[in-house]
Amino acid sequence: MAKPQWTVPAIVGSILKYLALILAGAWMLLPFFWMFSASLMTSQEITRLPPPLLPTQPQWLNYVDVARVVPLGRAYFNSMLVTTLSVLGILFTSSLCGFAFAKYNFPGRNALFMLTLASMMIPFFVTLIPVFYIVKQLGWLNNYAGLVMPGIVSAYGIFLMRQFMLDIPDEFIDAARIDGAGEFRIYWQIILPLSGPALATLGSFNFVGSWNAFLWPLLVVQSRELFTVPLALNSLRTYGMEAKFLNLQMAGTAVSVIPALAVFVALQRYFVQGIALTGLKG
Amino acid sequence: MTNGLTEKPDTMAPGMTSPPARTRRYFLPPRALWAYLFVSPAILALLFFTAGPFLFTLWVSVHNWNLIEPVSQMGFVGLENYRYLLTDDGIFRHALRNTFVFTICGVGVNTVLGLLGALLLNTRLRARVFWRTLFFLPMVTAPLALGMMWAVLLNKNYGLINTLLGLLHLPPQPFLSSPAQALACIISIAVYQYVGYYVVIYLAGLQGIPEEYYDAAAVDGANRWQTFWQITLPLLRPVLLFIIVTNSIGALQVFDVVFAATTGLAGETSGGGPAGSTMVVVLHMYNNAFKFFRMGRATAMALLLFVIIFVITLIQLRLLRERT
Repeated sequence: MAKPQWTVPAIVGSILKYLALILAGAWMLLPFFWMFSASLMTSQEITRLPPPLLPTQPQWLNYVDVARVVPLGRAYFNSMLVTTLSVLGILFTSSLCGFAFAKYNFPGRNALFMLTLASMMIPFFVTLIPVFYIVKQLGWLNNYAGLVMPGIVSAYGIFLMRQFMLDIPDEFIDAARIDGAGEFRIYWQIILPLSGPALATLGSFNFVGSWNAFLWPLLVVQSRELFTVPLALNSLRTYGMEAKFLNLQMAGTAVSVIPALAVFVALQRYFVQGIALTGLKG
Repeated sequence: MTNGLTEKPDTMAPGMTSPPARTRRYFLPPRALWAYLFVSPAILALLFFTAGPFLFTLWVSVHNWNLIEPVSQMGFVGLENYRYLLTDDGIFRHALRNTFVFTICGVGVNTVLGLLGALLLNTRLRARVFWRTLFFLPMVTAPLALGMMWAVLLNKNYGLINTLLGLLHLPPQPFLSSPAQALACIISIAVYQYVGYYVVIYLAGLQGIPEEYYDAAAVDGANRWQTFWQITLPLLRPVLLFIIVTNSIGALQVFDVVFAATTGLAGETSGGGPAGSTMVVVLHMYNNAFKFFRMGRATAMALLLFVIIFVITLIQLRLLRERT
């Protein structure tokens, strides 16, 4: 790249550039800002026309009150449990299957791989009704199994793990075998540790996806005890239709978006890597 | 054949694949049973939750079914569900139109804005990671939560956007409560949510372009404009293709954002309002299935949309790949 030159056009260009970035950044932050600000207002403030930009006196108690309206604590626990199980399930099934696709030769391998690729192309809404019926017949409506099991496998995950593991040299596996390691041990102690970046990418994407999932839990869950965070949010939404409860609604929203944001900020590198990977190989 | 040592080095194919000729007579390559064991959890789950249900969807789509009566007693109706959707169901046609408008506008704006954002971030810049993070925040936030935030921001009475318009001496707008503006609002919420994702993809693509091309262009005296059109854009073609194809696939399935921003508004209970102006195909399918229990129509609708997505993807791949 050229060295910075402090000519007039360069300075004007630079100012325009940062101006554009600041505008775009403000656009990105506006809903979050307003959510946070509104969550700290009193009912009087939020129903004033036009509403103030900031609360005069931050009402932190709103965050306590919102937990009285919807079972937010319980929803948090449910979401954590369901998300953790789904993510671990997907990581396990995808990596094991991807390992077999990448490193073993067996009759039917290509056919099964084609099945995986074909499954990748079937959107969720196409199978929604039958999967709902299956879950209903299994008696999994309104329990954790119904929330977790349909998301226990990801065709895309299998594909991603296979692609990644193809690049792991076979010598590692041969050496382990000479040392007398069994097949599962090779997977567990050699392949998995070497697949860290792919696992982190797959895991972080699925964490966010599972944490934010709405349509499926909406269908499966009936009782408030099983509410996930988006469902709790949804019941706040109908509640918040009365303008004076909007502050509580926004407090609930603020609490609900934090975990996914935290995971993203912590694992940002893998997100970006994963996106670059899918984007450039696709 | 569990020990690699017994194989002669020159017969050892890459990996643990081909066994020596002596064992070829056996039914399976060595360790194939392990491989079957390893693929079975994932493959069984795929068969059970994706492939099987897909076939079941095909089956239901030619029947009348309310989800409650036993599968064996479903009434066969042939292609009646498809005929109804394509000729009699005004809402479906309307939803299809809205879905297309949503997709074309959303994909168009994302493709252009995403590229502009990436070009900005790819320049000499302070705190690039900070800006990138900012663009990415909406992407990891639940669509439901974002829909709720924007529904409040865009509220015609107490919404902040109208307050800001007031500061600029512009008249307040009805936004989501106007049939004329609601779909545009939904599109802008969706763009807001996903544009950061495309910025990151473009950015990866831009950073994959070798510096030498730009050096060579500079030597030839090309200006920035020429460099962009002659080097950057042609080399970004695969990225552009990926973005347009995946974004279209996703946009045609839009549901969450419409549901979040339009249900419950002004007494609308089934979403897609006001006056059906934001009704989209998946929402119509959802309502048919889980509000009216018309599973036949709902599955037929799902399959029609699936075919539409498939055909559009094929056309895009053809058109955009041709000139490379």
